[in-house]
Amino acid sequence: MYWEKDLETLDRKELERRQLEQINWTIRQARNSSFYSGLKINRIDSLEAIQDLPLTTKEDLRNQFPYGFLAVDRERVIRLHSSSGTTGKPTVVFHTREDIDRWQNLIARSMYAVGVRKNDVFQNIMGYGLFTGGIGFHYGAELLGVMTIPIGPGNSKRQIWFLKHLRTSVVHILPSYALRLYTFFDELNIDPKKDLNLKIALIGAEPHSNEIRKKIEELYGIKAYNSYGLSEMCGPGVAFECTQQAGLHVWEDHFYPEIIDPDSMQVLPEGEEGELVLTTLSREAMPIIRYRTRDLTSLIPGNCPCGRTHRRISRIKGRNDDMLIINGVNIFPIQIERTVMAIPEIGNNYLIEIRKKDYMDKLLLKVEVNEQVFQGTLSELEKLQRKIIVELREELDLTPEVKLVESASLPVSDGKAKRVYDFR
Amino acid sequence: MVIELSVFMENRPGKLEAITRILAESGINIRGISVASEGEFGVIKIIVSEPDRAYGVLRENHFTVSKRKMVMVEIKDKPGGLHDLLVLLSMNRINIEDCYGIALEEGKKAAIILEVGQFPRTEKILRGEGYTVLSDQEPG
Repeated sequence: MYWEKDLETLDRKELERRQLEQINWTIRQARNSSFYSGLKINRIDSLEAIQDLPLTTKEDLRNQFPYGFLAVDRERVIRLHSSSGTTGKPTVVFHTREDIDRWQNLIARSMYAVGVRKNDVFQNIMGYGLFTGGIGFHYGAELLGVMTIPIGPGNSKRQIWFLKHLRTSVVHILPSYALRLYTFFDELNIDPKKDLNLKIALIGAEPHSNEIRKKIEELYGIKAYNSYGLSEMCGPGVAFECTQQAGLHVWEDHFYPEIIDPDSMQVLPEGEEGELVLTTLSREAMPIIRYRTRDLTSLIPGNCPCGRTHRRISRIKGRNDDMLIINGVNIFPIQIERTVMAIPEIGNNYLIEIRKKDYMDKLLLKVEVNEQVFQGTLSELEKLQRKIIVELREELDLTPEVKLVESASLPVSDGKAKRVYDFR
Repeated sequence: MVIELSVFMENRPGKLEAITRILAESGINIRGISVASEGEFGVIKIIVSEPDRAYGVLRENHFTVSKRKMVMVEIKDKPGGLHDLLVLLSMNRINIEDCYGIALEEGKKAAIILEVGQFPRTEKILRGEGYTVLSDQEPG
């Protein structure tokens, strides 16, 4: 069940000793870059002292475009990736051959942890290209030795054709696309539970609720595991769920996690929710110290029954900048998702619209009706509409407007799902 | 017994037409139709010549559709025709959930589509009183 038993189950004390050593190595390595060349601290003597090092932000990465963070000779770089952000200057990330090797090893470790083996068939439905999701898993899967189909996203009928005829057992897919893909099975007269050999979905690259995961598991009759990563660290493979499905193990031999209060910047104790801050521990081309991921989560106290000693983070709640303020109430889109996806009469897609009307913020939620449970009466629809409003009011403390829409009528993209439209 | 298809639909121009077009292109005859609307959305109820095929075609086109069993009973197209039928049902304490009519042959025959709780019993009572209970197979 372990890809690298010694490293995954390393004694905490020894793991922390190595982390400290690697942080100090990272400080030295980072000094080779123009951005970190002026770093005032040479070394730290304890892990707690990492708090004395300055934080690094997305803005820093942007401002240093293209080579400000590069810490090795350009000739040693064999790959560039760029984040999926679309506003302004892109952020670019460089890898040496050894960086790539370490990254693919972490993907192989993550896939192995949830049961992927050489005899599986792996369909990689994630985007290839500048985005790290597709290529990252591609090389990791090949290292593991599993037959990999580099199909990328989109063309749903072809996806299903491959799923069926190649007896695909593992997919890597955006959770929103997994739900979208499901709507195509009916017209092809294929039952994903009976006619496919699918067992495992690796889902990630967008924050999603546990309810969405459960829905994917139920629709396909499979297990779905949460994958976490960000291109600034490498891409996917930073943290991954084990089969316990009780949080994501941060691969602490390569990344050092902290949780900070995003306002005061103070480090928070285990169990408290805040912004995840990561330091690379082994990256040569582009070491990053205390990177503010903007992702909100917490470190889960206690040991995982799987035996891995690497600490777990809870499911990502969203990004700092995802938070909506509606008539003074703070709301995360994932709260809405959690609520509506737990209602069986609701289909697989939803959309949030916010508008200003008479100086007040109005939240409009559009949800698709689940055709599997539709009984054919008007009264059930009216009842459903009221139910959604009541449950959202309990969760959000405000009364949304709810609109029922036909299944497969809401826009979907093959990339990350855009579900919030703020028209204010 | 007939199968009624009910389709969930947003209340917007052109939505109903989308259904009738798909059915027309598939060569499926619509025998009866009724619309229940709440304002923003509604349910279109249709009786068609080949309900199973129509169901499949609508599903393929991503409509949210479900099948329901209904009683379709022929009545005389004359004053009191419907009244006599309803008297019979109420005497037998059969509650009607939904009801709409379609003409079969203008001026001669009409049919009433009924949604009732006590399904086989209703058909039995109607037959016992000499009513013609229609099914999907019969030409209408």
